[in-house]
Amino acid sequence: MSHLRHLGMAAAFAVSSLTLTFTNVQAQTRQETLRIVSGGAINTLDSTLLNATRDSLGLSVNTYDRLVSFTRKQVNGNWVFDLYKLRGELAESFEVSPDGLKITFKLRPGVTFHDGTPVTVEDVKWSLDRAVLAKSGAAPQLASGSLTKPEQFAIVDDRTITVTLEKADQLALANLATHFGRIINRKVALQHATADDPWANDWLKDNIASSGAYIVETFKPGEQVVLKRNDAWKNGIDGKLPFFKRVIIQTVPEAATRANLIERGDADISIDLAANDVIALQQRGKVKVVSNPQINAFTYIAFNTQKPPFDNLKLRQAIAAALPYKDMLDAAIYGRGAPLFGGSWVGTPPTLDFPQALPLKTDPAAAKKLMAESGVAPFKTSISFSTANAGVAEPLSALVKEALAPLGIDVEIRKLPDAQLATVATNKSFDVITETTSAMLPSTDYFFRIFFQGPSRWNLGNWTNQEIVNLAAKARFEPDKATYDTLAKKMIALEAAELPVIPLWQPNQEAVMAKSVGGYTYWYHRQIDIRDLVRE
Amino acid sequence: MSRVVRLIGRRLLSSLPAIFGVVALTFLLMRVLPGDPAVFFASGPNTGQAEIEIVRERMGLNRPMGEQFVLYLRDLGKGDLGNSLTSGQPVAKDLAARLPASLELTIAALVLALSIALPLGFVAAMRPDSLVDQIVRVFCTLGVAVPTFVSGLLLIFLFYYLLGWAPPPVGRIDAFASAPPSWSGFLLVDSLLAGDMETFGAALRQLVLPMTTMALFVMAPLARMARAATLAVTTSDFVRTAEALGLSRPRIMVSYIFRNAMLPILTTVGIVFSTMLGANVLVEKVFAWPGIASYALDALLSSDYAPVQGFVLLIASIFVILNLVIDLLYSLADPRVSVE
Repeated sequence: MSHLRHLGMAAAFAVSSLTLTFTNVQAQTRQETLRIVSGGAINTLDSTLLNATRDSLGLSVNTYDRLVSFTRKQVNGNWVFDLYKLRGELAESFEVSPDGLKITFKLRPGVTFHDGTPVTVEDVKWSLDRAVLAKSGAAPQLASGSLTKPEQFAIVDDRTITVTLEKADQLALANLATHFGRIINRKVALQHATADDPWANDWLKDNIASSGAYIVETFKPGEQVVLKRNDAWKNGIDGKLPFFKRVIIQTVPEAATRANLIERGDADISIDLAANDVIALQQRGKVKVVSNPQINAFTYIAFNTQKPPFDNLKLRQAIAAALPYKDMLDAAIYGRGAPLFGGSWVGTPPTLDFPQALPLKTDPAAAKKLMAESGVAPFKTSISFSTANAGVAEPLSALVKEALAPLGIDVEIRKLPDAQLATVATNKSFDVITETTSAMLPSTDYFFRIFFQGPSRWNLGNWTNQEIVNLAAKARFEPDKATYDTLAKKMIALEAAELPVIPLWQPNQEAVMAKSVGGYTYWYHRQIDIRDLVRE
Repeated sequence: MSRVVRLIGRRLLSSLPAIFGVVALTFLLMRVLPGDPAVFFASGPNTGQAEIEIVRERMGLNRPMGEQFVLYLRDLGKGDLGNSLTSGQPVAKDLAARLPASLELTIAALVLALSIALPLGFVAAMRPDSLVDQIVRVFCTLGVAVPTFVSGLLLIFLFYYLLGWAPPPVGRIDAFASAPPSWSGFLLVDSLLAGDMETFGAALRQLVLPMTTMALFVMAPLARMARAATLAVTTSDFVRTAEALGLSRPRIMVSYIFRNAMLPILTTVGIVFSTMLGANVLVEKVFAWPGIASYALDALLSSDYAPVQGFVLLIASIFVILNLVIDLLYSLADPRVSVE
């Protein structure tokens, strides 16, 4: 009997110690696991595809390596990427020739792909060739850094590769640091290439062949991606491994649900909560909020300047004077952003940065006067935006409608499905439009190349100003800092004078995370770089 | 037996023209919509006409519309529903993965709704205009008046956020749990087949809130229909006769009232079920449920033709099958009704 009792106690003890280790292991796993919830979806493992979503792009940064990477710096106590200071990622070192026409990369020794094979210069060459030749979004992007032909990428020896440029493009190196410059495991990719698909586009869309910090464990498009750390990764800062061993990225479409998950501690981080939820969460104080004005994005109102009456400068100025900027900022994003109005300068802007606050202020009397001077009779028009953007654009547009009524302008609010908005924006078949857009590489000439010229969707002001075209083209290849300054300021002054686009603000990116999560950095891709994050 | 099989075959065959009509109409409708998918998908900051053409070619939009339709029909014949640019996957694969999620949720919600709404309707009809009847009426009005995303968020707030009883309202299974081997795609069935009670419990817990949200919304039409149908039957001649002949109350209720009231209820159930399957975008969004409705909506917003066409075709086929099933059930409930 006593034997039995002993046995029972021993068994009970064994069971309880087992459960104890089990829960320990579980707690340990949770500690080293990062759970990200996002309203967006990852639809492919190849971020260079034209239909790749922004979330797919964030994933690519964590799963692939590039030759170089931007560094980060502290701004107002937050980590923000530094467009002008780079570090080697797969490259141990890199060097730009004094004339800016040749960039030489030396590969880090002993670096391997996920399959254990070494990363070679042939892989680098093939990947860069692929980026400029294969049908994807990479070619047009890299062209913005003057990278267009495979002949520009040359193997020098088994650790050295050079990139040559016809002109010293300021953004050549920066383009190679973006997710479009990823380095692919050539041997693995080629095993899946076919005659119709020589660059293995089809296979790479759902598979990873890389050396990146994270390995894709499961991929359910539009639903969930599970990553595990690549413990052989040595391309981080000082060769350090990322903190999190496992990462779960889930699509949770409803913002309120995401907010609940973060506050309850079931999810660790989300960067796309609704502004009102962020404020409530912040007040209750159970989570950490890292707010960064999105330095490479801006919200604006654009006029179709080719279409009367918006070709009339006085009319555009009248509208600019009528807009209730502060109220719009408060109503649309609860004041959580950096205003791009209320600048106090005249003539030449104080800095070369763009977007920066333009000298715009609400002045109904001036608006009336300008409207009279414009000679435009009262008219009906419309302001368009996409369904996806409605949370911000709807209150904003309502205030525009209200502010323009006294000028005799009757504004109809047009909320369009995303594809329809893309179509009217590209065909320029709109009157006024409001958008929030971003440029990956926020240098002033790049902004003016994308948003203020040419036939692309994003020249929403439909602006055809030859001076801007010339200035931007010149600035792009201008090595001298002072000259670049002057060119950039001239472009900004022109935009402020002509007002094809009225910049409103740079909305904050509100990264909401568990208090234990640290190291969050605002990146050019506006997604989470998991490699930065730690649990403190 | 072979008569029934022949019957089903004939019914399915006769539904082909309708299905073809749906296919043709959706195909045309998508292309008449003002959004251009090629422009939408090729609208990165540096993309231009060349990239738009790449997408157009991939989607086959560079061909004349007649040719596109013929090619589409040919692909349909091969079981190929095309590719989704939104999800980056073949549409058939997406729908196959997501349909079980939608079906599991819808069936569970319907069973729950029926098990509450039918008794409520019967009770209300047995005592028309009594206090019970009024309470049922108020309850149903409330259910149908509160939009599903409001009731969904309220349930999450109460049972997940405040009380902590419900698991994180994300998808069909806990993020840290592992899914059972997939046989049917229904997690509840698969986990039972695998004998994995832990996963069964996890899946069931995930299901409770979205299922309740949906059930609350559809209970009203079901309860009202049950009440009206029962009321009509209780006042009919044959019930009065049965009562006059002194049949027992339970016998009258089960064999005469209940059975006859089932006919209109069955019709309503059929309609409610197919509506729930296709129209529960909000519940799917709130609970991050990977179903077909939110899939179709996302595709529609980006004018992604193939997934929308595939979705409509799927729903149309489900309608056909469902109608057939309802008709067969009809003949069981009422021998006078013949499917032919």
